[in-house]
Amino acid sequence: MEVLLFILPVFFALSVLIVPKSGVRAYGIIGSLAVLGVVIACMMQYSNDGTVHLFGNKEEWLRSTGITMSFGYDGISLLMLLLTAVLVPLILVSNFKNELAENRLFTSMVFFMQLGLIGVFISMDGLWFYVFWEITLIPIFLISWWFGAPERKAALMKFFIYTFVGSLAMLAALIGLKVNAASFQIEDLKAVILTSKTACWLALGFFLAFAIKIPIFPFHTWQPDTYTKSPMAGTMLLSGIMLKMALYGMIRWMIPLFPEAMSCLQYPVIILATIGVVYGAIIAIKQKDMKRVFAFASMSHVGLIAAAIMVWDFDALSGSMVQIVNHGLVAVGLFLAVEIIERRTGTRNLPDLGGFAKQAPKFAFWFAVLAFASVSVPLTSGFIGEFLMLKGLVQFDMIIGIIAGTTLILGAVYTFRAYQLSMYGPVTRDQFADLHWSELIVLAIIIIAVVILGVYPAIITDFVNPSLKIVLETVSTPSGL
Amino acid sequence: MSVSQLLPLILLLPLIGAFINGTIGKSLSKVVVGTIATGVMAISFVLALMAFMSVQHGEPVTVHLFTMIKTSSFSLNARLFADNLSMWMTLIVTGVGTLIHLFSMGYMKHDAGYYKFFTYLNLFIFAMLTLVLGSNYFMLFFGWEGVGICSYLLIGFWYQDFKNTLAARKAFIMNRIGDLGLLIGLFLILGKFGTLEYGEVAKAVMTEGFEISEMLIFGITICLFIGATGKSAQIPLFTWLPDAMAGPTPVSALIHAATMVTAGIFLTVRSNYLFELEGAHLTKDIMLYIGLATSIVAAFIAMRQNDIKKVLAYSTVSQLGMLFVALGMGAYTAAMFHVTTHAFFKALLFLGSGSVIHAMSDEQDIRKMGGLRKKIPITHITFLIGTLAISGIPLLSGFYSKDEIIGHAFESHKFVYFALMFSSALTAIYMFRLYFVTFFGTFRGTHEQEHHLHEAPASMTLPLVILAILSVVGGLLNLPGVFLHSGTHWLSHHYAHNVAGMAVGEHGDPNTTLMLMVAAGAMAVIIAIITYIVYVKKNSIPKEDAQVKGWEKASAMKLYFDEIYDFLFVKPILWLSEKGAHYFEGAFLHRGVVSIGKVIGKSGDLVRKIQTGRTDNYILWMVFGIIGLIVYYIIYSKN
Repeated sequence: MEVLLFILPVFFALSVLIVPKSGVRAYGIIGSLAVLGVVIACMMQYSNDGTVHLFGNKEEWLRSTGITMSFGYDGISLLMLLLTAVLVPLILVSNFKNELAENRLFTSMVFFMQLGLIGVFISMDGLWFYVFWEITLIPIFLISWWFGAPERKAALMKFFIYTFVGSLAMLAALIGLKVNAASFQIEDLKAVILTSKTACWLALGFFLAFAIKIPIFPFHTWQPDTYTKSPMAGTMLLSGIMLKMALYGMIRWMIPLFPEAMSCLQYPVIILATIGVVYGAIIAIKQKDMKRVFAFASMSHVGLIAAAIMVWDFDALSGSMVQIVNHGLVAVGLFLAVEIIERRTGTRNLPDLGGFAKQAPKFAFWFAVLAFASVSVPLTSGFIGEFLMLKGLVQFDMIIGIIAGTTLILGAVYTFRAYQLSMYGPVTRDQFADLHWSELIVLAIIIIAVVILGVYPAIITDFVNPSLKIVLETVSTPSGL
Repeated sequence: MSVSQLLPLILLLPLIGAFINGTIGKSLSKVVVGTIATGVMAISFVLALMAFMSVQHGEPVTVHLFTMIKTSSFSLNARLFADNLSMWMTLIVTGVGTLIHLFSMGYMKHDAGYYKFFTYLNLFIFAMLTLVLGSNYFMLFFGWEGVGICSYLLIGFWYQDFKNTLAARKAFIMNRIGDLGLLIGLFLILGKFGTLEYGEVAKAVMTEGFEISEMLIFGITICLFIGATGKSAQIPLFTWLPDAMAGPTPVSALIHAATMVTAGIFLTVRSNYLFELEGAHLTKDIMLYIGLATSIVAAFIAMRQNDIKKVLAYSTVSQLGMLFVALGMGAYTAAMFHVTTHAFFKALLFLGSGSVIHAMSDEQDIRKMGGLRKKIPITHITFLIGTLAISGIPLLSGFYSKDEIIGHAFESHKFVYFALMFSSALTAIYMFRLYFVTFFGTFRGTHEQEHHLHEAPASMTLPLVILAILSVVGGLLNLPGVFLHSGTHWLSHHYAHNVAGMAVGEHGDPNTTLMLMVAAGAMAVIIAIITYIVYVKKNSIPKEDAQVKGWEKASAMKLYFDEIYDFLFVKPILWLSEKGAHYFEGAFLHRGVVSIGKVIGKSGDLVRKIQTGRTDNYILWMVFGIIGLIVYYIIYSKN
C-alpha cells in the first residue's frame, strides 16, 4: 500500500509523456486524484496514537554506508502528505485553462515534484531526506525555466544557487552528525549526544537550508523574483507546498536532532523570523505587482509559523500545523486570483487595474473571502492558527509577541489595498469575464476547506496532536521546555 | 422551549437569513429578500424576549455547542451564555436591529445591491450576537472580529466610489490595532487563569484569597481597554467612525451607533470583576480621562460639522466617551443604562437623518436644507424627540441616563462633573443647531430637490415612531429614587440579580440628585432657547468652508487628527515600504547576493569554457553529479 506513494507519482510522471496531447489535462488530474486516494487510504489505516508507522526496511541497505531504507509516517507526515495530495490536483485544475496544462513535460514535472515532496515527508532516514529534498529542486526549477516569464533566467539562477548552497550546508551537517552515529536512520541520529557547541554548528547547517527555503529574513531575496518570474503553477507549488518542507524539516529534523542547539538558536531564529513577519508585511504594502504583494505576504505569514515552531511549545506547534495547512490553501488561492486577473488583462500591475467587482461578481466574492482568510478573520482556519501561534509567542516573550502580532494590522493593510485597487474603483476594462468553472471549483474547494477548518479546527489538531506530543516528549531541551 | 434551546436559535436565525439571501437572494424579488431578512430578525427578537423572561429571575444558563479546539492546557469552546447582561444586549441588538432592517427595506429600495445589503446586515447581527451571547472571551473575540468584517463590508458597500472603500479599510485597520491589544489581553488571561470562560474567571477572581500581581491585572485590563478603544472609537483610535459614515445610513444607525460601537462597553461591564481588582485602578483612571477627553474633543468637533451624518457620528463618539467615564468610575449599571437609551435615540436620529437624506435626494449638507419641518412632518417630530432626548431635556430618556453618570461624577470627581457638564452643554448646542438649521428657516436646496421632497414610506416612518416612543419612555428603566419609593433602579436590580460582579450599589442622596437634575435640565433648556434665537429668530446659516476662522475652523477641520495621524503613522510606514523595497531590499540585499555570486562566477570562468551553454542541462548534470559525489564520499568514508 505505502509503496504506491512512490510508485504512483513515478508511473504518472513517465506515462504522461506518451499520452496524447488532448488527454494530458484529464490524465494529470486523474493521476493526482489517485495519489490523493492512496494518501487517504494511508490515513485510514494509521492508528492515531502518534507513533511513526514505519514501512521501509530498517536494516541497513548499503551495509557499509549507513543508509537505511527507513520510511514511515506519523500524524505530522500524513498531514503534510494530505496537503500535498490535495494541492497538486487543485494546482492542475487551476491551470486547466492554460496551454501549459496540455504540456506533457509540465505535467510530468508536477508528478516528479510530488514524488520528491512525498519522499521528503516520509523519509525517516537522513540521507533519503536530503536526496528527496534535492530532487524537488529539479522539477520546480525546470518548470520555471521552461515555462516562466521571458526574463526569468537571472532570477532562477539566483534561486538555484541560493537553495543549493543551503542544501549543501545541510548535507555537511548531516554527514558531520553521521560520523558519530550508527546509521542515517533518524533514531540513530537522534541518539548522538553532542556538545552544545557542536550541536549549534551542525544545527546551523540545517537552519541555513530551511531558512532559505522558508524563507526567513534575510535569506529571502531569491523569493519575490522567483515567484514573479515563475509560471503560476510554479509559484503555487513553491509557496503552497515546497516551503512547507522546510517548516516540516524544522519539526522533524532540526530540533529533534539538535535539542542541544535550542539554547543558541532559539532566540536568534525567532527574532529573525519575527523581523521577517514585519519586514515582509511592510514591503508588501507599496508593491505594484500583485504577485509581489502576495510573495512578500507569504514571507510574512510563513515567518510567523517559523517563529512559532521555534517556541517549541505544544500549543504553538499545533497552531503552526493548522497554519501550515491554511497557508498552503490560501496561498494557492491568492496566486490563482492573481492569475485570473492576469489571464484576462495581461497585467498584474495594480495601478492599471480596477473595477472588476462590477463585471465579475462571482470572482469578486470568492476573492474577497480569500482576502479575509488571508488576514485570518474568524471562521477561517488562519484565525485559530494565528491565535495559538501568537499565544505561544506572547508567552515566550511579550515584546516579540506584540511585534509579531502587528501582522494582524499590516496584513489587513496590504491585502485590502491589493484587493481594493484591483476590484473596486472605476471600471478599467471593457470586459472582464467572470469565473470559468475550473477556477470556481478551485476557489470554492479552498474556501470551503478553510471555513470548515476555521469552525472546527479539531479535525487537524486531533489528528496531529498525538504525534506532536511524542516529538515534543522525545526532545528534552536544555531549557526544560 | 427552554432557554438552552432558544439561544442557538436566536443566534442561528440571522445566519440562516444571510445564507438564504446570500445564495439565492439575487433571483428573489426585493420584497421577498427584505421580508426574509427582517423576518428572521423579528423572530429572533421574539425568541430573545422569551429567553429574557425565563432567565430574568433565574440562574444564568450555559449552552455548550461544541469544542472548537482542545490543546494541552486549555480548550476553546463554542458555548453560549445567558444572564441578564447578555440577554439585555441581545434584546437591544435584535430589537433595534429589527427596526433598522425594516427601515432599510424602504431606504435601500432602489439599490442594485439590495440582496447583498441584507445579507451583510444579517451577517452582522449574527456576529454581534456571537459577541454578546458567547460564554467566553474567545467567542467574544470571534464576534468582535466578525462585526469588524461586516462593518468593513457595509462601510464600503458603495464600492464604485473609491473613497468609500478607503473609509472601510481605515475602519478595519484601526479596529485591528485595538484587536491586537484585546488579543494580547486574552493571552494574559489565558496565562493566568488557564481558561477564557467568563464564569470560571469570575469564580477565580471572586474566591477568597485570590492573588494576582498588580502588574498583571493592569496589563490585562489595559489590553482589554485598548481593544475597547478600537471598537468603541475612543482617543486615539476614534477617527475611523466619522469616516464610516460613507456607508448607507441604516448601517450607521445599526453598527455605528446602537450596537457594534458599544461592544467595548459590554466587554468592560462583562469583565467588571477584573476592573474592580486592586491593580486595575490605574486602568480605570486612564479609562476615565480618555473617555472624558474623547467626549469633549468629539463634541467640540461636532460643533462645526455641516454634514448631517458627521454631526451625529461625532456625537456618537462623544457619548461613547461619556460611557467610558462612567466605566472609569465603576458605574457599570449607569453605563449600561445609557447604552440602552443611547441605542434608542441615536438609532432614531440616524434613521431620521436617513429619512432626511432620502427626502433630499441624497443631499447631506445641512446648509442646503432648511425648512423641512412642514415637508416631512413625521421625520421632523421624531427627530425633534431624538434631539430633546440626547440633549438631556427633562423627562426624556437621555436626561435620566446621562444624569446618572453625571451624578456619579459629582459624588466622586468634582472636576469630572464639570467637564461632563461642559460636554453635555456642547452636545445640546450642536444638536439643536443641527435640528434648527435642518428643519427651520427657508429651503436652501435646488429646485429639483424641492420638487422631490416627500415623506418616507411607512416602512421607514414606523421604526422612527417606535424608536421615538422608546426614546421618551426609556428613562423608566432605571428611574432614580427621587420621585418614587418603589420600582426605581429597576435595571440595577436586574443586573445585580445574576450578572457576575454586579451589585445594586448605593444611590446618591435624593436631594443632591434632585439638585443636579434641575441644574442639568435647566442648562439644556436654556441652550435650546439660545440656539433657537440664533438659528431661527436670527436665521443664521452655517458659514461656507472658506469663511470659517479661529476655533470654528479647528472644529470644522476635526482638530486636524487625520492630518496628524497621516504625518505620524501613515506617511512613515508608506515611506518605509517604498524606500525599504527600493534601497534595502533592492540595492543592499539584492546587490550583496549578486556580488557574492559574481565572485563565485569569476572563479568559475575556467570551468565555464567546457559548458554547453544550456544552463538547464548543466543544472541537471550538476545535481546528479552532486548526488554521485555524496554516494562516493559516503562509501569511501566508511572504508
